Amino acid sequence: MTAKHSSCRAIEPDLVATATGDAAPGAEVRVQEHVATCPPCRDEMERYRSIDRLVGEMRRAPVLGDRADMVRGDLEYRLAELRRKAVSARVWQSPLGPMLIAKSEQGVVLVEYLDSERGVAASRALRRAGIEVLADETETEAFYQQILEYLAGERTRLAWPLDFRLAGSDFQREVLQVTAALPYGAVTSYARLAREIGRPTATRAVAQALRHNPLPIVVPCHRVVGGTGALVGYAGNKLGLKERLLSLEGVPIAQVRKERQIVRDHMYVRADHDTAYCLPTCGALPTLPLWRLTLFGSRDRAESAGLGPCSDCRPDLHPISA
Amino acid sequence: MGREPFEAVMTAHHAEIYRYLRRVTFRSADAEDLSQETFLRAFRAYRGLPPDANVRAWLFAIATNLFRNSLRSAKRRRAAHDTVKGKGREDEGAEPENAARFNEARVTVEAVIDRLPVKQRAAFIMRKVHELPYEEIAKSLECSPDSARAHVFQAFRKIRISLDAAQLPSAEGSA
Repeated sequence: MTAKHSSCRAIEPDLVATATGDAAPGAEVRVQEHVATCPPCRDEMERYRSIDRLVGEMRRAPVLGDRADMVRGDLEYRLAELRRKAVSARVWQSPLGPMLIAKSEQGVVLVEYLDSERGVAASRALRRAGIEVLADETETEAFYQQILEYLAGERTRLAWPLDFRLAGSDFQREVLQVTAALPYGAVTSYARLAREIGRPTATRAVAQALRHNPLPIVVPCHRVVGGTGALVGYAGNKLGLKERLLSLEGVPIAQVRKERQIVRDHMYVRADHDTAYCLPTCGALPTLPLWRLTLFGSRDRAESAGLGPCSDCRPDLHPISA
Repeated sequence: MGREPFEAVMTAHHAEIYRYLRRVTFRSADAEDLSQETFLRAFRAYRGLPPDANVRAWLFAIATNLFRNSLRSAKRRRAAHDTVKGKGREDEGAEPENAARFNEARVTVEAVIDRLPVKQRAAFIMRKVHELPYEEIAKSLECSPDSARAHVFQAFRKIRISLDAAQLPSAEGSA
């Protein structure tokens, strides 16, 4: 190419932009002024106009061997699979600390207490399960609102569709299902749950299954205690949360030697599958082991669970004094 | 909330993103893989997208990123290079009656575009074929709008130079 005058070189970007319909504001006037007095640049501009027309042709020309439809078909198949497997998750700020809620198309998959604010990536449960997480701001919001109401004592039921895909085994799934049926304000023991599922010797396994409960609060494993009434364990090392949830439901708790325990003789009692609830002193109740009992913090709670007052001890006439 | 379902996004933009990738990549298989990956990625992040986001420009940005990442892999770079040097675009089919200079010129233009550095090629195609605004092209390429403009200018310059060398259309010849 021949050497250009410096003013021609300087205006070249604007000239190209003007010729190709892309001039920045103000540039076009400068270019017109320049080409009015510079025939070589006027020719250049015409050439660029021709090139732009060629490029315009490209825009209108179909892509050769266009397989967009077929590719989209494959994509839809992969998306359907992703939808089925993936969960929507978000970390919410709750009174119990950062809390991750994840849901699938089937139901709530995971409620996880997080130690850090690092967001969904901090979820060990999802990472370990290798579940793909979709960023989501709103999908779990309704559940979060219900948790807030629950923790404020304004709600006693979380009637959520549940997805037990994080249950590690059929056994754990069964334990979670039985636990999910425990009514608000009731307390029972691991040993009793083991008997409920027909595995009376599996107390420890039941405790293990609940230790790894993927759905705390909704599947109320906090309502399950050890054989002595000690709170024993919750979500790893979060015994304080267990006590908080039980207190919210009106369950009395006290320090007994080195342990936090439910105060059995301040609670109403249901023996086995009785349809009535009793005072803790009724008949042989004080001598029965915890695995035969379900305990309630108040008469309201026992009656909400569908029980009537015992006709012998009449807890309705002689309530436990606080 | 209130955001259109992802299916609607696919309907509106899939074909265009696929065609964009067909134009910037050299092999149709790459464009197919990248366009699928673009939409799978978009689906994962879609519900976290701010409500006022420009979805089309966002998809172009994802596609451009994936395309550039794919080139960073040394193996792919070599493969792409070989393709350009060797047989050219695999889909450059025989066109009947392509004697016209116009078509020859177009082939030259396409060949120049294929040889452009990645950012220039992507900027040029986004601007001139898909008519995206420079602000959006800049986001896709992680550069300033001025740089995006400069990429397009450089692309035009190179096309101009090669057409000059090939004695191809002058001002009057091509209209």
